[in-house]
Amino acid sequence: MTFKPVPATVAAVSDSFVPDGVIATSVEAVVNWGRRNSLWPFPFGTACCGIEFMGVVSSVFDISRFGAELVRFSPRQADLLIIAGTITYKQAPVLRRIYDQMCEPKWVISAGACATSGGFYDCYCTVPGIDEIIPVDIYIAGCPPRPEAFLEGLVQLQNKIAREHLKEQKAVGA
Amino acid sequence: MRVLTPEGDHLDFMTLNMGPSHPATHGTLRIFCALDGETMKAAVCEMGYLHRGFEKMVEQGTYSMVLPYTDRLNYCSAMINNIGFCKAVEKMFNVTVPERCITLRVVLIELSRIIDHLVCSCTNLVDLGALTNFWYFFNTREEVYKIWEKLCGQRLTNTVTRIGGMYRDAYPGFEDDVRKVLVKIEAAVAEVRGLIEHNKIFIDRTKDVCVVSAEEAISYGWTGPCLRASGVDRDLRKDEPYYGYETYQFDTVVGETGDTFDRIMIRLYEMLESVSIVRQALDRLKPGPVNAPDARLSLPDRDRVYHDMEALINSFKLIYEGVRPPPGECYDAIEAANGELGFHITSDGGTNPYRIKVRPPCFTQYAAFGPMCEGEMIADAAATLGSINIIAGELDR
Amino acid sequence: MSTAAGKGISGEGDVRSWKREPIKPGKSDDQLQALAAERFGLARDAKDRWNLTMTLAAGQAKAKLHEVVRVLRDDPELRFDMLLDLAAIDYLSYPNHRGPRFAVVYLFKSLVFRHRFKLKVEVEEDDAELPSIHDLYRIADWSEREVFDQMGVVFSGHPNLKRILNHHEFIGHPLRKDYPCQKRQKLSINDPMVDQLESRLKHFGYQVVDSGEVHLGAPIAAKHQSVAEQGSVDTQKQKNAAGAVGAGGI
Repeated sequence: MTFKPVPATVAAVSDSFVPDGVIATSVEAVVNWGRRNSLWPFPFGTACCGIEFMGVVSSVFDISRFGAELVRFSPRQADLLIIAGTITYKQAPVLRRIYDQMCEPKWVISAGACATSGGFYDCYCTVPGIDEIIPVDIYIAGCPPRPEAFLEGLVQLQNKIAREHLKEQKAVGA
Repeated sequence: MRVLTPEGDHLDFMTLNMGPSHPATHGTLRIFCALDGETMKAAVCEMGYLHRGFEKMVEQGTYSMVLPYTDRLNYCSAMINNIGFCKAVEKMFNVTVPERCITLRVVLIELSRIIDHLVCSCTNLVDLGALTNFWYFFNTREEVYKIWEKLCGQRLTNTVTRIGGMYRDAYPGFEDDVRKVLVKIEAAVAEVRGLIEHNKIFIDRTKDVCVVSAEEAISYGWTGPCLRASGVDRDLRKDEPYYGYETYQFDTVVGETGDTFDRIMIRLYEMLESVSIVRQALDRLKPGPVNAPDARLSLPDRDRVYHDMEALINSFKLIYEGVRPPPGECYDAIEAANGELGFHITSDGGTNPYRIKVRPPCFTQYAAFGPMCEGEMIADAAATLGSINIIAGELDR
Repeated sequence: MSTAAGKGISGEGDVRSWKREPIKPGKSDDQLQALAAERFGLARDAKDRWNLTMTLAAGQAKAKLHEVVRVLRDDPELRFDMLLDLAAIDYLSYPNHRGPRFAVVYLFKSLVFRHRFKLKVEVEEDDAELPSIHDLYRIADWSEREVFDQMGVVFSGHPNLKRILNHHEFIGHPLRKDYPCQKRQKLSINDPMVDQLESRLKHFGYQVVDSGEVHLGAPIAAKHQSVAEQGSVDTQKQKNAAGAVGAGGI
């Protein structure tokens, strides 16, 4: 009996590959594989970081290499919320509502210093970090982060999704 | 919403929130409108969703610490803000920066104006559904950002100038890089013009849409490309020249009707004028110092700091205390990519600014947006919002 | 490319030529100062070093401001047809300051002549009120709202004097020197703005019979309770809070 080399797409979900296209793996691995490679982002870009996110989408950095190029502006159609920019108290209820409108499963990337901690706007109107309002999966440093940092954050999120268990419910806002 | 018309008919208007989280509003503007079918019968605008306290924060630090905040006013052309603020503080000191610094600043201002117009035009065209232009312009913009990175290490928020000069001189090969990128900019503008200038869909969607007359534009205090689109030939670079702009050969581009078409096309043509100014400035770029030889403003040479007591004290004082402009109030303006960007600085003679009021060009343009799009189709409102180029960082500060 | 000076984008068509004239030399600062002193009795500001600034004293502002601005705009020799900005200043902690606590600086610019003018209007703390000039310059509507929001100067006669930068539940005026920089104020529900839209519709002659259902949830969240505080309680409460806020996506 001759074993064919394991195709790359299969290797992502399973290491046991039998001829005739039969693979043995868990549902969890397949679901996570699908989820992490087809993230549909909702860019909540308010400030400078939003401009850099446009750079990430453009052809030089090309986020579609990571399967996340289908930018949706409806929270119902997106599963990845990217907050790129300062969130003020005036904006906070809007952000909370957008997050709640997204369907499970959903993930949140906080891009840049302002979204993560308020940045150097430590004053009466800025929220000191969006984790006061919504749960965050990945924080990206930078003011604004370089496009490469955005991509690194996305890869980190993909790694995180790969480790998720279907049994576990997402904690907040479910 | 049920209304009674002046003729006595009952009508049902649909009320609609456009934004703040809407792609055409860049996440931070809100337009609340009453719709009759697809026509906007009344619209009220709200701003402040990105109000992050610029004017309060700058009172907490020294003058040098204001510079990074100015970057984030208009983050599409951060350098113009840097230079505008430095120019205002230099005016308070009555200091003229060296010739090389002035010429470098002109190069940076005009390149920044180009990338601002690139971003504004391409996102505006995306709002109209013309996605291809986005790739053409963003690739060119990345080329300019490569120069920025070589120059100062940052892409978007540069903080490249200092009060009294520059962060550092341009790197060797700067001029060649800029000249190469200018060719690419011209090519990109030509390509986009080829795609849209005679495109029937584009013309139908923008011609005679949201017309702003010259009188209205002036009453709303519009400046910059939007004012010129309404036919008023006013440009600070021509009217009150600074940095030797009167010696450069360039034209102001003026529109006729003040519709969305004019506002978009003016930006495309202005890029070409800026390209011409950058070329002339590069021809004039001569070696020399970039910092004003003034101990009140500029840090002494590193070498002198280590060997000279006075230079050490000077360096120490400048870093720990910063500059101290004489007490008083000063307004100084610069022609930014969007119009007149002014800084009204109140100094009490101390190291921290007592009060800085920014005169953002976006503010006046957004104030007019509601009345502008009343009576127009809602889809055209999205296109028009792009054409007046609202940058929320500058609008809300 | 047809961008030669004096030509429009397409190079032809109906060109209103008077606007294409180059800007005319304006009056010097000394001339403007003499003129303002003679016609309005204004004095040059002591803090003025770089630009011409004329001061209108607090007691006179209510009676004279509107008329002074109208003359500045309409006088054929002055033609300050653009109101650039309003800069309000709080002199509470200004060293050795005498006189009223606030000042509002009106920045004017002429598009016909090359001259600018700064009109500084002093405002007393216990009578922080100025006449609105929104009927002379359309931009004054929003500029005055900003000054009111940030500094607390009231403009009498303004049709819609609401906060513009801060949210509508904000208390105090953040740019006053006695407002602490880090004193945060949270928002529970966005401004529905229905009243503004209705007054706008009235302006066009429509009479609103029924405001109908506006895209907002019921305001369940308690006022001045933060979104974050609600975030720490149970999920159901959060949902309610989220349903209460306005202004979602289109």
